[in-house]
Amino acid sequence: MIFWNRFRAKLKALVRRRQLDRDLAEELQFHLDMRTQAGTPEARRQFGNVTAIKEACRDRWILTSLELWLQDARYSARTLRLNPAFAATAIAVLALGIGVNATVFTLVNAVIFKNQPFAESDKVLYITSTEPARGGDYPGFSYPDFLGYRAQSKAFESLAAFELNGANYSDREGFAEHYRALLISANGFASIGQTPIIGRDFLPSDEAPGAAAVVIVSCRVWDARYGHSPAVVGKTVRINGAPTVIIGVMGPEMRFPGDIDIWRPLVPTPDFANRGNRFLTLFGKLADGESLSSAQAEFSTIAWRLAREYPQSNKGFGAVVRSFNQFAVRDKIHSMFLAMLGAVAFVLLIACANAANLMLGRAVGRAREISIRVAIGAGRWRVIRQLLMESVMLASAAGALGWFIAIAGARMFARAIENTGPPPWLSFSVDYRVFAYVCALSMASGILFGLAPAMRLSRLDVNAALKDGGRSAGTGLRGSLLSGFLVTVEMALAVVLLASAGVMIRGFLATAAQPIGVDTRGIAVVDVGLPSSRYAAPREQAAFFGSLRKQAAALPGARAATLASSAPGMGSMNYLYQLEGAKPVEQRDIPRVDGIVVGGQYFDVLRTGILRGRDFTEADGGVPTVIVNQLCAAKLWPGENPLGERLRLGHSTRGQAVDLAAQPWLTVVGVAPNILQAGAGMEPLIYRYYRQEPQWSMVTMVSAAVPAETLGNGMRRALQSVDAEVPAARVDTLDGWIDQNRWPLRVFGTLFATFAAIALALASIGLYAVMAQTVTRRRHEIGLRLAVGAGKSGILRLVFAKGLRQLAIGLAIGLPFAYALSRVLPRLIDIPAQDIAGILLGAAIALSAAGILGCIVPALRAIRVDPAITLRHE
Amino acid sequence: MAKKEERSDGGLVQGALDMLVLKTLTRGAMHGYGIAQFIHQISDDVLRVEEGSLYPALHRMEVDGIVASEWGQSENNRRAKFYRLTPLGRKQLARKSDKWNRLSSAIARVMLSGAGPWPAQ
Repeated sequence: MIFWNRFRAKLKALVRRRQLDRDLAEELQFHLDMRTQAGTPEARRQFGNVTAIKEACRDRWILTSLELWLQDARYSARTLRLNPAFAATAIAVLALGIGVNATVFTLVNAVIFKNQPFAESDKVLYITSTEPARGGDYPGFSYPDFLGYRAQSKAFESLAAFELNGANYSDREGFAEHYRALLISANGFASIGQTPIIGRDFLPSDEAPGAAAVVIVSCRVWDARYGHSPAVVGKTVRINGAPTVIIGVMGPEMRFPGDIDIWRPLVPTPDFANRGNRFLTLFGKLADGESLSSAQAEFSTIAWRLAREYPQSNKGFGAVVRSFNQFAVRDKIHSMFLAMLGAVAFVLLIACANAANLMLGRAVGRAREISIRVAIGAGRWRVIRQLLMESVMLASAAGALGWFIAIAGARMFARAIENTGPPPWLSFSVDYRVFAYVCALSMASGILFGLAPAMRLSRLDVNAALKDGGRSAGTGLRGSLLSGFLVTVEMALAVVLLASAGVMIRGFLATAAQPIGVDTRGIAVVDVGLPSSRYAAPREQAAFFGSLRKQAAALPGARAATLASSAPGMGSMNYLYQLEGAKPVEQRDIPRVDGIVVGGQYFDVLRTGILRGRDFTEADGGVPTVIVNQLCAAKLWPGENPLGERLRLGHSTRGQAVDLAAQPWLTVVGVAPNILQAGAGMEPLIYRYYRQEPQWSMVTMVSAAVPAETLGNGMRRALQSVDAEVPAARVDTLDGWIDQNRWPLRVFGTLFATFAAIALALASIGLYAVMAQTVTRRRHEIGLRLAVGAGKSGILRLVFAKGLRQLAIGLAIGLPFAYALSRVLPRLIDIPAQDIAGILLGAAIALSAAGILGCIVPALRAIRVDPAITLRHE
Repeated sequence: MAKKEERSDGGLVQGALDMLVLKTLTRGAMHGYGIAQFIHQISDDVLRVEEGSLYPALHRMEVDGIVASEWGQSENNRRAKFYRLTPLGRKQLARKSDKWNRLSSAIARVMLSGAGPWPAQ
């Protein structure tokens, strides 16, 4: 009780300080007057020391600890204000460190922590299947499996499923468009607690076989196509040619699970019954009391049960339950961002070491002040606390600046990846988490960089400091050792950071700047996907693309045109194959090779030519032929001429078994040069002719004699003339398209280069500051040397020797760590490790250059010391 | 004002001062001068409370919530700060006087325990 009274009373007194003093004076004065009145002349004398009594009374009202803090704070603020140069430098250095950290944290926050923008989205988990023996990607579940899990699972309030799709959408309100569509089970939205803002949600009747086709559209589609009109519910549109009724519109934030435009119910078709068709992702909201681990345990059990019941299809398959971030962001990206976090942590440490050195440098000036404080009774802890308060104040100011740097940085990053199609749930907003991070970081770095100088300063030899005016304080062996140690640490950290950044950038260059093997200039592309309703028959698909190609080739300025299932560098398909004369093998062991489907004159358009044999022509429409690239020829028929050899190809779609024996034998008619399609390097590739394996989606490529960009409109018109209802998914130049795909290099490469540059700058400043202090401190000695006859070069050698020695020690310590890190990093981030020795050398040289740069100005100042002046100042 | 630890009596007098002031205030609200006068008179001039002890004690008790203060008019129409007992103060008074009684009767028992020094010689 008393404690609270005290606290409250003292808090009140804090605010009403002056009133308190006045009252006290009046109270005592009253007593004094009454005494005087009562007679005795010594009244006042007997009263005692009024001031002392006032002090004693006032003491009762003081919150001692708070008072001390406030006192320290005011003192620190004044000290910093009186040293603007030091304060500004320290703040700038720290702001850089905290700022980049906050920026990267914002990015990491968005990618790794934030969740989808609907209520309780952190409780929604996503389940895919997994085949541990094979590793690799996570396939989905089959429809019967989904039903099985739904029946047996208790971990989720309700289990739903979806399949990602694409759909061609057309109505009278606008051009035909290709939308990202989702096939979702009828309970899908209900299971995550979302309903359409107008219209209705799916009902179980909507997913019954043979039900009328319905669709729920997203707010974006509603705005773009229908101008927000409520009359959209009940409208009939054509999706992939089939009439579909719009039954509802979802809210503005709803793009579940990521950038989806329209949702359709998961209506089972006969092929759904096959347990080998794995295409569904399951999801649901956790029931009360369940967690990710309990859900995972339950699903693993159910998976095992299913594997026992249906060993044919389910043996060896398990289930993986993941949170949204784990599900949506690939592991590689996770590691990438974590690597960035590590890099900026280094930058901050370097900045702190820098600031600590700056603080130490002021020791010379403050020795006197501190020794006086200690002499009149300040405890060592009090001194340390006040010095720490200074550093925390600096760090807080830096944190405020860093906050703005983070906002700017996040915005720049968002703009940089705008065109690369980031998922919409990714919003790099600087929110409360970042704020808390900045505060924590400021606090921590303030204490970190202030601690060493504070402890050092508080341990001064008071006697010595007071006697010689503080000139020799801070010059003690201890002082310069600490300073030197800090610089060495800075250098070591910097070289590690530089080396890591170098490894990352090199790795990116290696993957992203892979030579495609083709001169990609001067090629215009248009990517088209056909609606399955009107182009159901493969023959129709082939006919469409044949016409499109002919139209494109006829464009003014076009030299030749061809088709491809994927453009160079944009991926490939996977085939199962069987060579003529090879022994038949188990389904699971059938060898695979990548390949694409192309049109005639493919290698002509790409200007690579064919190495042996011939390119495809229209005549290949009826004859089963195939072209292989060099790597493929070497792999499949090593040491032989592949022309004339035969093989069979097949696809496995949706995990179904494939019967290669039913496929026709294909004859190799040409050997092509190696062109990059997918992955980090050249691979064996098979080329099929489009009329033999028609595709519903192909890229038309036109080699242009004029600048490729100008063909864009012509391509669109050509497409329209073939079929006005089919939209172009993309119209671009091949160069532009590939370039955009290389955004990781641009974005992350730039980021890491920036971090490295900042580290170099900080290291340079750090060395400069220390050298400058050294020169200032030893001016006397330098003057002496010059007077006694040392040449300017001798002085230069003196200064540089000291600086370079610290640089060398820093490198010696840092390089081994740098080497270790550069072996580990590429494996974590999955980029090729190249030329590590070269990178380390480069880092060392860069750092040395920065260090030497830092030494130059102090060295020049040293040789300009006028011995006459310095000696006189003794 | 000497710190409590430095007094040779170990805080006895301060404890007694609090008790005396509180007891005085049971008679009603008073200003500091009045309290000092009262104690001086009632104790037949034996106990003289010094201002250097009184006012710090009063302020301490006010911060602790044992007494409450109010500005009012003195007998001769001057502005003065009046102190009064709070419920917490009454409890403190009871506790302190209880302790004091036990202490003084214990001392009395020792002093009345028979002639001669102890241990017996």
